Amino acid sequence: MRDFRALVRARLGPLPLDPAREAEIVDELAQHAADHFEELVAGGMSEDEALASALRPLDGSGRAAAEIARADRARRSTPAPPPAPRGFIVADVWRDARYAVRLLRRAPGFTAAAVVTLALGIGANAAIFSVVNAVLLRPLPYADPSRLVVVGGRGVDNRAGNLGYLTFVDWRARAHAFDELALIRSWNPTLLGGEGPERIAAMRVSANFFALLGVAPVVGRDFRAGEDTPATRRVVVLSDRLWQRRFHGDPRILGRSIDLSDGAYIVVGVMPRLFPPLVSEHFYQAAELWAPVGYDATQAFACRNCQHLKALGRLKRGVTIAAAERDVGDIQAALGREHPADYASESGVVVVPLADELAGAVRAPLLVLMGAVVFVLVIACANVANLLLARLAARERDLALRAALGASVGRMVRQLLIESAIVAASGAALGVAAAAAVVPLLAHLTPVPIPRLGDARVDVAVLAFAAAVTAATTMGFGLLPAIRAARFRPLASLAGSGRSSGAAPNAAARRLLIAAEIAIAIALAAGAGLMIKSVGRLLGVDPGFDPDHVLTLQLSMIGPQYARNETVVAKGDEILARLRTIAGVDSAALAGQIPLGGNRDAWGFHVEGRRWTADDPSVERYSVTPDYFRAMRIPLRRGRLIADADRANTAFVMVLGDRTARALWPNEDPIGRRVRIGGTDGAWFTIVGIAGDVRHDALAEPPTLQMYTAQAQLTDSFLTVVLRTSGDPAAIAHDARQAIASAAADVPVYQVAPLRDLVEKSAGARRFLMVLLELFSGVAVLMTAVGVYGVVSYSVAERTREIGIRAALGASRADVVRLVLGRGLALVAAGAAAGVVLAALTTRFLQQSLYGVSATDAPTFAGVVTILLAVAAAAHLVPIARATRVDPTVALRQE
Amino acid sequence: MSTDAELRKGSAETLVLALLDERDRHGYELAKLIERRSDGALAFHVASLYPTLYRLERRGLIHGRWVERAGARRRRFYRLTPDGRRTLEAQRRSWKVFFTALNRVAKFRHA
Repeated sequence: MRDFRALVRARLGPLPLDPAREAEIVDELAQHAADHFEELVAGGMSEDEALASALRPLDGSGRAAAEIARADRARRSTPAPPPAPRGFIVADVWRDARYAVRLLRRAPGFTAAAVVTLALGIGANAAIFSVVNAVLLRPLPYADPSRLVVVGGRGVDNRAGNLGYLTFVDWRARAHAFDELALIRSWNPTLLGGEGPERIAAMRVSANFFALLGVAPVVGRDFRAGEDTPATRRVVVLSDRLWQRRFHGDPRILGRSIDLSDGAYIVVGVMPRLFPPLVSEHFYQAAELWAPVGYDATQAFACRNCQHLKALGRLKRGVTIAAAERDVGDIQAALGREHPADYASESGVVVVPLADELAGAVRAPLLVLMGAVVFVLVIACANVANLLLARLAARERDLALRAALGASVGRMVRQLLIESAIVAASGAALGVAAAAAVVPLLAHLTPVPIPRLGDARVDVAVLAFAAAVTAATTMGFGLLPAIRAARFRPLASLAGSGRSSGAAPNAAARRLLIAAEIAIAIALAAGAGLMIKSVGRLLGVDPGFDPDHVLTLQLSMIGPQYARNETVVAKGDEILARLRTIAGVDSAALAGQIPLGGNRDAWGFHVEGRRWTADDPSVERYSVTPDYFRAMRIPLRRGRLIADADRANTAFVMVLGDRTARALWPNEDPIGRRVRIGGTDGAWFTIVGIAGDVRHDALAEPPTLQMYTAQAQLTDSFLTVVLRTSGDPAAIAHDARQAIASAAADVPVYQVAPLRDLVEKSAGARRFLMVLLELFSGVAVLMTAVGVYGVVSYSVAERTREIGIRAALGASRADVVRLVLGRGLALVAAGAAAGVVLAALTTRFLQQSLYGVSATDAPTFAGVVTILLAVAAAAHLVPIARATRVDPTVALRQE
Repeated sequence: MSTDAELRKGSAETLVLALLDERDRHGYELAKLIERRSDGALAFHVASLYPTLYRLERRGLIHGRWVERAGARRRRFYRLTPDGRRTLEAQRRSWKVFFTALNRVAKFRHA
């Protein structure tokens, strides 16, 4: 018996298959050879001849082995499609999914590109949505938060303004719409003793404030109604943070007295660790300490129009905002009739949901960002759909075969959709993981505090959102290829060469996607461009002072030792004298308020010789020492500045801002005129000079009505030190602190910052929006470039033959370039045109954040379109280079 | 791959499927049958038949299994799967269309 197995084995050579399969194949071939051999011998052939004949097909150059291996190994490069549907759909889907995973693993380049693209899109969406969720959507962490409102006079942008104490008292007594009305005001006491004086961010509240929010102290008790009077108000509730930091969480703190700058207070409670001081953070600074307002009607600052208080309300169940607004509005109208001297003639009332008030400033920018990331995702989808369509073209024969095998159209569409879903889910997993890592950092990246941003997390809501986005995404990029597949004509594809059949409509779909990508990228880039221009304009604004080489430090001289104005003035002079001795300090001054310092103080302004009414203008007042104008480089327009000779015992003087002078004395010179400020019964101030206007509240806000008074005559206790230096202002911060401490050890110094930082911060929110839009539009432009490149190079590859023929017929390189570029640029131009329209429709949502530039700024649009055209043209370079290198003979042989 | 090779491969697959449509067969039997029925015009040998069989098998159109009978050698028999049967039908239709068209144009048969 001959060993045919060994004979076959020797002729086949090594098969690159797994050993078991190889043995099987050798077995089968040996069987065949043996059968052949026996038949030949039976037919009368000699054994040697028969053996040679039977084995001859296997001789020579291992071709047989290669053929067999290729046929058999092919099961690895294109896995067999799963068997036709039978049984449960779940099992079918599972089988399709496994098949899809195998297919995707065979194409790592495609899979990686698609997954990363989608991860960028979905990750950005998850990140921004987690912020939107935390800041805008999640209910406030208080009891029944939908009933919490802010109530006040109708201010700018329909926001609730401040009100005076007696007004509040009448509202509370007469209103029917509220379960509770509470009062708050800012408070910045200095905590003495222990580790040295510390300025505490605090808030004075009416006794029902915590009850209104529906939270209670975790240690001790809430304020009692009886404690909200001038005589009994010296009780405090601590935040958990302050309790831990200064009192080491000592439970015996209850009933103990702590020293604040204006006296001793008894601690009655500690708030829970998780109580978020959102209200104080929004209106003032995140409070760590609360005490009762403690006003009564006899106090001067408790008057009807002493508007420094804010009112919060809890609506009665079932009462609408509109009803509450009518209720308070009617009361206010009645008060206006009862006290005509106290209220301006037109004083509307507004009731705003607390959640809206807290989110107000950031709502529009956040929604813009949300829109931007949705755009990014759409572009990502378009790119992945493009990849899928390209792949589909290559897989047409595979699909045709499956159709021939009896797979229904529905089944094939399902298969493609499952493939898309797996790609999308992988991208989502990657993107959400990245978002989870990035989101907690966002709170540290924003230059301006955004309420509740610190709470932003990738949580269940975000996951649900990401899942929905992923599903939508799958439909977004998977449907088009699936529809293409459903229209598929299997016989045509099997009979033809496979490429020509589906290429044309497929290419049209891909080109349409690219045009859409270009359009969206232009809209995004236009948004970013407008923000860049806005920030540039904003930082280019002349603020009215010179912010470079200026250091600012805040300090407060309060407490019994500073009860007298003379002491504060003398101590201030002493501090300034010390500061002037520091090397590098050119000038030093004190001011009650500085521009962009986040504080303002507007006083009623009553001109001598004019009829005084409640409608007299409010003018911002800044108490300054004489050197202030030099330190800030605020120019004098006319008259004189405040001088050292202007003391408490000389005539009170005032310097006006330019705009104030022009607004209130349009046709005359105000110098020498006299005014009273605040009440109508105070001292006369004589106007001695006119200074340049400054942008006090924000760079984006035009100068307000402004006046300067002498610190020696109208003395502030909360002061900002302003030092003009010859070198880097930050370098002398330490020396400056030392100098102040040596002059006044009991004065806390805080918020030390170069003035330039305040200017930058004033542009901070816009800059933040700008940076994010830049980032997103950068990603969009990049993805679009990749998409254009993909489509153009695919179409070049597809038309190699055509290009070859043209080249053979004598087309020059320039002709070839024109051919490729012509079609590509037509596509880009169509996308650009659509992009300009889309941008014009969408950039108006940026309106609130723009500064000094229109939402449809033509130069910006033109610049963006130019950039996109350049990028798209650049994406043509490689395919064009490839097209011009086409060798006619090779190209023609290819088919 | 040239159209000619494609055509030949395609036709080989159709032949194999058609023969297995009658009954299960092993490789040697398939080779003999093709040769005999085509009067020697189509000949398959070891190096060309088995790659075709393996290709069809991995596509799930046929299914091979080892069968041992008393007194006979162990052989690998191939059976047409339901997918294979459907493919065969499709290919028969396809070829029919092709032949009809070819005949109409090239007039192979005398009218």
